[in-house]
Amino acid sequence: MMELIGTDATPIEVLLVEDSPGDVRLTREAFKDAKVHINLHVAQDGAEAMDFLGRVGKHVNAPRPDLILLDLNLPKKDGREVLEEIKESPTLKSIPVVILTTSASETDILRSYRLHANCYITKPVDLNGFLNVVRSIDNFWLSVVKLPREARS
Amino acid sequence: MIFRGRFRYGQPLYDIFARNIGTVNHNNTGLSCVHFGTSLIARQTETIATRVFNGFVMKHTPTEPPTKDTRNPVAAMEGRLGSGLGALIVLIAVVAGWIVQRDRAARGRAEAALLESEERFRILVGGVQDYAIFSLDPQGTVVSWNAGAGRIKGYNADEIIGQNFSCFYSPKDIDEGKPEADLQIAAASGRSETENWRVRKDGSRFRANVVITAAHNSSGRLLGFSEISRDITERKEAEKNVGQMESRYRGLLEAAPDAMVVVNHTGEIVLLNLQAEKQFGYRRDELVGQKVKSIIPEGFAERLVADGTRSAAEALVQQIGMGIELYGRRKNGSEFPIEIMLSPLESPDGILVTAAIRDISVRKNSEQHLVNTVGELKRSNDELQQFAYVASHDLQEPLRMVASYTQLLAQRYKGRLDSDADEFIAYAVDGANRMQRLIQDLLAYSRAGTNGKALHEISSENALKEALTSLRAPIKESGAVVTHDSLPAITTDETQLAQVFQNLVGNAIKYRSIEIPHVHVSAMKNGGNEWIFSVRDNGIGIDPQYFERIFILFQRLHGQEDFKGTGIGLAICKKIVEHLGGRIWVESQPEKGSSFCFTLPERDGQ
Repeated sequence: MMELIGTDATPIEVLLVEDSPGDVRLTREAFKDAKVHINLHVAQDGAEAMDFLGRVGKHVNAPRPDLILLDLNLPKKDGREVLEEIKESPTLKSIPVVILTTSASETDILRSYRLHANCYITKPVDLNGFLNVVRSIDNFWLSVVKLPREARS
Repeated sequence: MIFRGRFRYGQPLYDIFARNIGTVNHNNTGLSCVHFGTSLIARQTETIATRVFNGFVMKHTPTEPPTKDTRNPVAAMEGRLGSGLGALIVLIAVVAGWIVQRDRAARGRAEAALLESEERFRILVGGVQDYAIFSLDPQGTVVSWNAGAGRIKGYNADEIIGQNFSCFYSPKDIDEGKPEADLQIAAASGRSETENWRVRKDGSRFRANVVITAAHNSSGRLLGFSEISRDITERKEAEKNVGQMESRYRGLLEAAPDAMVVVNHTGEIVLLNLQAEKQFGYRRDELVGQKVKSIIPEGFAERLVADGTRSAAEALVQQIGMGIELYGRRKNGSEFPIEIMLSPLESPDGILVTAAIRDISVRKNSEQHLVNTVGELKRSNDELQQFAYVASHDLQEPLRMVASYTQLLAQRYKGRLDSDADEFIAYAVDGANRMQRLIQDLLAYSRAGTNGKALHEISSENALKEALTSLRAPIKESGAVVTHDSLPAITTDETQLAQVFQNLVGNAIKYRSIEIPHVHVSAMKNGGNEWIFSVRDNGIGIDPQYFERIFILFQRLHGQEDFKGTGIGLAICKKIVEHLGGRIWVESQPEKGSSFCFTLPERDGQ
């Protein structure tokens, strides 16, 4: 019934924009049990995320991600700007962006959706909650949802 | 009757006749026809002429003009007068007649003038209404009486003329011999002026200003007196009122707690009170006559004068509710904040402005102090709020790492290290978890009551239902029975009210006794404009000594082994209720259940 992407032949490319190594590691741990093969790329700040997406510098060979997990509070260029640039770019705007942040502020939530974030998730404070969220992302965005493929290179 | 005669005459005669007797008609005979008029002098001349010319009388002719007949006797007379003696006699007679005539005429003219002026005087005096003018003989008997006297004293002329003027005096004055004394003074010094009570015909009294003037003839004999008197009762009353008003005004001025300064239209101080002396450090005499700007600095003085004297009505409007805050200057040059109220005061010298000047240094200082304190309090409150929020938020990040990784450690390595490691990890996980709860509670507390949402009329019953939905798990687990009365609609914040219900009902279930928890929520209208909500339970109850303490942040009465929790719930309830304008308290006894009550004000819906 459902066409699954992320088979061994075509792994799912996920860009995690996150400055906390602890969260990066937890995310990796959570994806370990993923139903699909995931290539997790990490950008540690907003500027690097844009380099990755624009294939600039050391990211010249970077793949186009199928999904972006974006923290909002980031060094250099923060997540809100990154989101805005992605959604204004004709080539990047079709990539689903999941906001994954500690902020539960109404302002941030509203603003993110207005900038066309695809969903907004507040990081649960306990481990199991966090693992569940990442698994949900895996389950929903990488298994249930049909992602656009046309622009993949 | 007209006498007519003919005389030969020269220029002197002509003059005499022409001027004094009558008209002289010339004719071509060289004689003139003298027309004697009807005047006194003409008659006199005729008499003399008749006597002188006795026997050869001048022809008496009635009014008809000269005729041939009348001319003849004249011609006859003419003939007799031919001699020089005759002429002389005629001349003497005529001159004598003329002299007598002249004196009589002069006397007559003077008499006429006198009569005329007396008449005029009589009319004048008689018509005067405002003054009683009458004359007395030397004994004080009334001999003349004018209209004013009649009006003022109530007697007609015929009633009073002939009476003694002492009837105008009060019995007491009469006993004391005042009437005689007044006359004596007037007789001696020519005039007496008194202000006294006088009595009218009807017995009523009036205050009179009385001038009695003695009249003497040229030889110094006392002929009588004239009295002019005026009713000055009203003037006296008015003077008395003015005097009373003035003394009252001065009394008020002195009694006023503020400095009072009365200023005229040129900005000069005309009056001030003791407070003004004290406040400005001047003696009264140093300030009276000074410009007001010497005590109220430049700029304001002009305004004071302009505002104050524009017009009484406008100024009155101005002063209502108008406090002007400015600075006053003391004698030593120091300045102090003042508040001024202006009010106009009509006076015979034009509009004066009464300025009530209040030294507001103390008030200003305390106002400033209050403003500063409130500002500081607000700043510190805001900082605290911000601090609590930021701290709990930012603390959460590293804590999440600690908690997550100790939990991960526990999950992955439980039983794979030694038992000590398991125990240590367990404590680390527990500590991190509790720390997380505390931080979350602190965050919740710092947010409570601060969402700043507009209040709407909501159903408090809905708020309770919302709370019960959140409490589904503990209610189910404990088998609690939660009941409620009909709860009112009220203007408040539904989310926050639900939070309060959730915490209170949650506590009622949590701190239960061995019995199945029964919780009842009710509301009743207070006498005032507020609702009292109550959440009653059959739980473990609370020792009254802890009634205050339980509402303080993180204060708990039980260890974690008995009841889990951070001690945040009631602190949040208190914060929310107070933020919504109410109070919260508990009524309880150990082992007899508790009633948590809170009030919410009734407001108009928005």
